[in-house]
Amino acid sequence: MAGAGRGCQKIRGSQIQDVLDTKHSILFDCDGVIWNGEKAVAGATEVVSLLKKQGKNVFFVTNNCTRPRDIYVQKFSRLGFTDVAQEEIFSSAYCSAVYLRDVAKVQGKVFVIGGHGVYKELREAGVPFVEGEADDPDMTIVNCPLDSDIKAVLVGYDDKLTFLKLAKACCYLQNPDCLFLATDPDPWHPLREGRVTPGSGSLTAALETATGRKATVIGKPSRFMFECIASQFGVDPAESLMVGDRLETDILFGVNCGMDTILTLTGVSTLGEAQAYKDDQAPEKKVYVPDYVVDTIADLLPVIEDDE
Amino acid sequence: MASKCRRLSGPIIRELLDSVESVLFDCDGVIWRGDEAITGAADVINLLKQNGKRVFFLTNNSTKTRRMYVDKLRKLGFNASEEDVFGTAFCSAVYLKSEAKLNGKVYLIGSNAMKQELQNVGIPQVGVGPDPITGVQIDWANIPLDPEVKAVVVGFDEHFNYMKLNRALQYLSNPECLFVGTNTDTRLPLEGGKAVPGTGCLLKAVETAAQRQALVIGKPSKFMFDCVAHQYGLDPAKTLMVGDRLDTDILLGSNCGLKTLLTLTGVSTAADAEAHQCSGCPVRLGMVPDYIVESIAELLPALQA
Repeated sequence: MAGAGRGCQKIRGSQIQDVLDTKHSILFDCDGVIWNGEKAVAGATEVVSLLKKQGKNVFFVTNNCTRPRDIYVQKFSRLGFTDVAQEEIFSSAYCSAVYLRDVAKVQGKVFVIGGHGVYKELREAGVPFVEGEADDPDMTIVNCPLDSDIKAVLVGYDDKLTFLKLAKACCYLQNPDCLFLATDPDPWHPLREGRVTPGSGSLTAALETATGRKATVIGKPSRFMFECIASQFGVDPAESLMVGDRLETDILFGVNCGMDTILTLTGVSTLGEAQAYKDDQAPEKKVYVPDYVVDTIADLLPVIEDDE
Repeated sequence: MASKCRRLSGPIIRELLDSVESVLFDCDGVIWRGDEAITGAADVINLLKQNGKRVFFLTNNSTKTRRMYVDKLRKLGFNASEEDVFGTAFCSAVYLKSEAKLNGKVYLIGSNAMKQELQNVGIPQVGVGPDPITGVQIDWANIPLDPEVKAVVVGFDEHFNYMKLNRALQYLSNPECLFVGTNTDTRLPLEGGKAVPGTGCLLKAVETAAQRQALVIGKPSKFMFDCVAHQYGLDPAKTLMVGDRLDTDILLGSNCGLKTLLTLTGVSTAADAEAHQCSGCPVRLGMVPDYIVESIAELLPALQA
């Protein structure tokens, strides 16, 4: 499967069966893979149910940090995925909280540029934090008070971002002992009908530029979310499969973690883009090449059903 | 190989001054810090002019019009007129009018000064001032776009927020829309130790979201020097650039074939200069100044003689 010239193999039927037979765990990205906005991808609910019936572990790994996991569970249920438990959902907000509590073991508060999803996960993990709350309009960086107990800055998608929040974060990060974390590197997020909105990555880039520091990124393509899953469920990457729609995030994540990868074409990246990476002479582009390609994850369906 | 990082003293100062016809000064950290002039700086500038040298001010700061700069300069004792000043608000407007020949509006993330300079060349803008976020996510992707906007321009903006970032992204989704940034300075100079994010951060946020690179007007881009040189017919070999930042002022000087003088009253240190010199890296070598002074006041004895 791995090797020179590999990749972008369009698979159907028994080829898919061969791949699935060797895998215990299937990791799905969410946006553009199992749903688009408020609509499940046709066949996705059946795929998830049947994989579970077959005894596979099914996990959901998403960079979307705007919701806490309990709200995700509600969304899964609302869209017809009736058998998804909170423990199977690994979002960048949840994993950021886990990182701060268990890996960094932060002693002190976290200054957050983010939203409700991140706040809830931090609260649930027992990590004290300061919201970049709506400030007094006369407040400027010159006269605003700074909290002396800030030991980390976490930046994620924040539609309430203001210049003052950026400036405060910049001040806290002047202390080299203050951690610098980012929920995910996505420069933009897709919305319905091909529209886009600025992503966490653009806010992180602003802070990195201001401070001259690089953020530790929690979300894909960084390995941390996989390490989270592996530590809780004993998952072996050689027996795991990553299914995603974004080459630079999901596929690279799969490669970084040593998993086989499937690109599904119901989301961001196109077959053309995948082929372009495959045909690129530069060796460093190989990490974006998926092992397999399907038009939609519904293509996994007929095969699974045959198996019953 | 020409010597570099020479400390200016004694007869060398006179030699250097005799070899140039024009002197370009950065402002923050060179002739003033915040609202206070560097001791002796006004005398230096005024004596240079009396000695028949042409003096210009080149600053990446986009928050003042030329008129506002002249007011500040005169208040601090510098003899100056509008024609001497080249700030990025003015130069961006010049670029859009004369080079890009923009026929339309600008979506501006920037200051009233930028709006004013654009107005002075007849280019209308939208976007200046507070822009509070309202509605939900899908609304932002569908915000009404002004069809007359043909360029997005990013300068320093204390009202920068997610909504402005979003609007810029929506306009820049059209590949025909121009994308200009005033400068890439990462931090503003501020007394009291607090670090304030500079225009470079705001620009980086927009560039990342849009996955596009802006055309940058300010130092070290050559455009600002070309602006001055074009208007006044400067000979680079007879021009001295005086600045406090190696990565903007000195690099501009190197890129344009000027003589360069680093003053230590601002951001960069002598150690920074020496580190670049020893690096062996061609890009970093462009940041090594020809000469160094503790403060431009060191030029005074040679000028007063």
